[in-house]
Amino acid sequence: MLKTTFAEAYDNGEPRLHYRALMERLHSLAPGDLQGRARLVESTFRTLGITFAVSGREEGLERTWPMDLVPRIIPGSEWEIIEAGLKQRVRALNLFLDDLYVGAQAALHDGVIPRWVVESADGYLREAHGLRAPQGAHCVVAGIDLIRDGGGVYRVLEDNLRVPSGVSYVLENRVAMTRALPIAFRNHAVRPVSHYGASLLTALRSIAPTASGDPTVVVLTPGIANSAYFEHAFLARQMGVELVEGRDLVVQDQVLFMRTTRGLARVDVVYSRVGDEFLDPVVFRHDSLLGIPGIVSAYRAGNVTIANAIGNGAADDKAVYAYVPDMIRYFLAEEPILPNVTTYLPWQNEDREQIFDRLEELVVKPVAEAGGYGIVIGSQADRATLEDLRAKLTAQPRGYIAQETIQLSTHPTLIDASLEERHIDLRPFVLTGEDIEVIPGGLTRVALPEGSLIVNSSQGGGSKDTWVLEDDGAVATR
Amino acid sequence: MLSRHAEDLYWTGRYIERAEDTARLLDVTHHGMLELSGEDAAQANRDVLEVLSLETRFTGSAEDSAAVTNFLVLDQDNPGSISSAVARARTNARGLRDRISSELWEAINSFYLDLQALDLSEEIHEHPYQVYRRVKNSCQMVTGVAAETMPRDDGYRFLTMGRLLERAEMTTRLLDVRYHRLVDSPGAMSFNRWAALLKSVSAYEAYLKEYRAAVDPIQVLAFLLLSADFPRSVQFCLQGTERELAGLIDTGVRSDAQRLLGMVCAKVEYCDLGSLLGGSLGDFLDELQEDIWQVGAAIDTHFFHHATDLDLHPYVTR
Repeated sequence: MLKTTFAEAYDNGEPRLHYRALMERLHSLAPGDLQGRARLVESTFRTLGITFAVSGREEGLERTWPMDLVPRIIPGSEWEIIEAGLKQRVRALNLFLDDLYVGAQAALHDGVIPRWVVESADGYLREAHGLRAPQGAHCVVAGIDLIRDGGGVYRVLEDNLRVPSGVSYVLENRVAMTRALPIAFRNHAVRPVSHYGASLLTALRSIAPTASGDPTVVVLTPGIANSAYFEHAFLARQMGVELVEGRDLVVQDQVLFMRTTRGLARVDVVYSRVGDEFLDPVVFRHDSLLGIPGIVSAYRAGNVTIANAIGNGAADDKAVYAYVPDMIRYFLAEEPILPNVTTYLPWQNEDREQIFDRLEELVVKPVAEAGGYGIVIGSQADRATLEDLRAKLTAQPRGYIAQETIQLSTHPTLIDASLEERHIDLRPFVLTGEDIEVIPGGLTRVALPEGSLIVNSSQGGGSKDTWVLEDDGAVATR
Repeated sequence: MLSRHAEDLYWTGRYIERAEDTARLLDVTHHGMLELSGEDAAQANRDVLEVLSLETRFTGSAEDSAAVTNFLVLDQDNPGSISSAVARARTNARGLRDRISSELWEAINSFYLDLQALDLSEEIHEHPYQVYRRVKNSCQMVTGVAAETMPRDDGYRFLTMGRLLERAEMTTRLLDVRYHRLVDSPGAMSFNRWAALLKSVSAYEAYLKEYRAAVDPIQVLAFLLLSADFPRSVQFCLQGTERELAGLIDTGVRSDAQRLLGMVCAKVEYCDLGSLLGGSLGDFLDELQEDIWQVGAAIDTHFFHHATDLDLHPYVTR
């Protein structure tokens, strides 16, 4: 097991080739200058209302998500590999979901993944059986979390196939960067990201029910109180489509309509940012006020398409994750390009022994939690926590997975007036419609407290602009 | 457009207008009061509360000018206070982020954040003039940014309609409350009060240019009720609303809102100023307020809360 940490920008104290121009520029600025620029970015974000609501707190508490001024740089040739790996993975995940809900469940019959593991996943929904996804695109938008291990190898940490968020920050961070560090930006051939809205709209239109010639797409949000509301509005604006809430929609004769000032208008595709269980009170949670009664029956009748499809949670469950490399081999007959983090499953005998023997070296995650909650890092846990964990693992093996501890790579980050190393990850966004497309880069999240490995916004994380270069090194400084 | 968005835009227009009108009214009242005795000051406070239709909501004493000001400027529980009007406009605008221009959202959000940053409870008593000026400027900024950045589509029509209807109501109430005190005031005092009335709707200079004369009750009334050119006259606002409404309805059949509004416009246009000043003005203005309220209710039913829309409206494709 590698205990070392990979430094993104430096190799033996020297900047790596693709970081040279950036570091030169940053070090040429007067001390305090960067801080001034960072404050400017913060105040711009606040004025623009690029904020998220902190959950569990009273309404009105809005925070900006700190954007670090030092961008993360990925050389072009390195990105080609990541991109190919992401496309491969998402293709296999879509095939798996289509096989599970629409097809013959060949993967389950052939024992690629145990049926009980899939069917016990929190996000698996019996109600999704028979719901056809045009183009086989169950995940139109996927966010695949990547980390780099001590050897610099990109590994998949987690798949987000339901409502992955964060893409608005990718676009807003880029705009902020070009304003805050225009000269550094100009000195690099950075691949653009601003076409995301257009690409998303194209993908969504491609999955419209076949009957409609000029499909109407809407973004469905739980509403202004949702922590990601800014992003929902942002995406609707980027695509030029309506941002609707459940109360704006109505189903009549298995057809979906929105209420407008000129009467009812038909809707063909819903990009839903509402969780599956809240979508339709007739089918799922009866107490949901966010949903639209009858929308699932309209979907089943083929009169509307919902993206991402219902039931995707069967494929992004933390236990199902362990089987994704096998899915890739089974459905595509290819070797996975991006490896998983080595994962142990408590219900398999040989894995369980490993877990119990090496509990203080491993990371244990509850499968049902998101946002970094409930994770136990063995090396940092006290005796009582570990004993408690052993008991839980014995009682509820399906509730947990264990993984090798990976340090996460580090990246220079502006802390007060100096650049310090902080841990980062990467969430690229993969769009599936007629074609499959990855937006260059993605969201780099950074854990701002020293030594912290938790990058989530709710737990002291920030973000960085991510530059994918056309080439492999910086253009000469002008 | 979505009914919910239309309603939010309409109310954003109303809230911003309300904040601006309140600031202007308080500014004029505050400066007028510096010359008044305690007794008169209390009456002036009562008048302001009545103009804003908040006389029953205010539980304090009208003699306490500071309490009245706090209630009208700061009080978050008072939906008519400047702070809450701005906060509500901002909440609406947040829900309209994908509908309004980014510039408009920024203007409203900055306005809200500016007020938050200010220690209003202190400032409003130390530097009332600056605070009112700031509020008026920010409101005009919002209106101006909307005019310069929004396409003249349905969204803009709803925003404008909200603003104009709110203003028509405000001018009507202002006339209603103030004219009692005006007709029987003597000499110089009378002049000051008529001037203050005109100033509370920014009409003083425009009035002087139009009539080139000392203030004369019948002319002031004509100006504030009937002027087709002055943007705060009742008629100007109602006709503007009529225009926006016509743009929103594309069938040949008149809606209830249009029918009602047409009747109100005619009533104002053909009123007999002489007999109004002869004694019936109070009743006329009361009726006018009720009429404008009815127009608002009809707009609400037609566009925002058509409950049985499945039966009433044909399916349309966008």
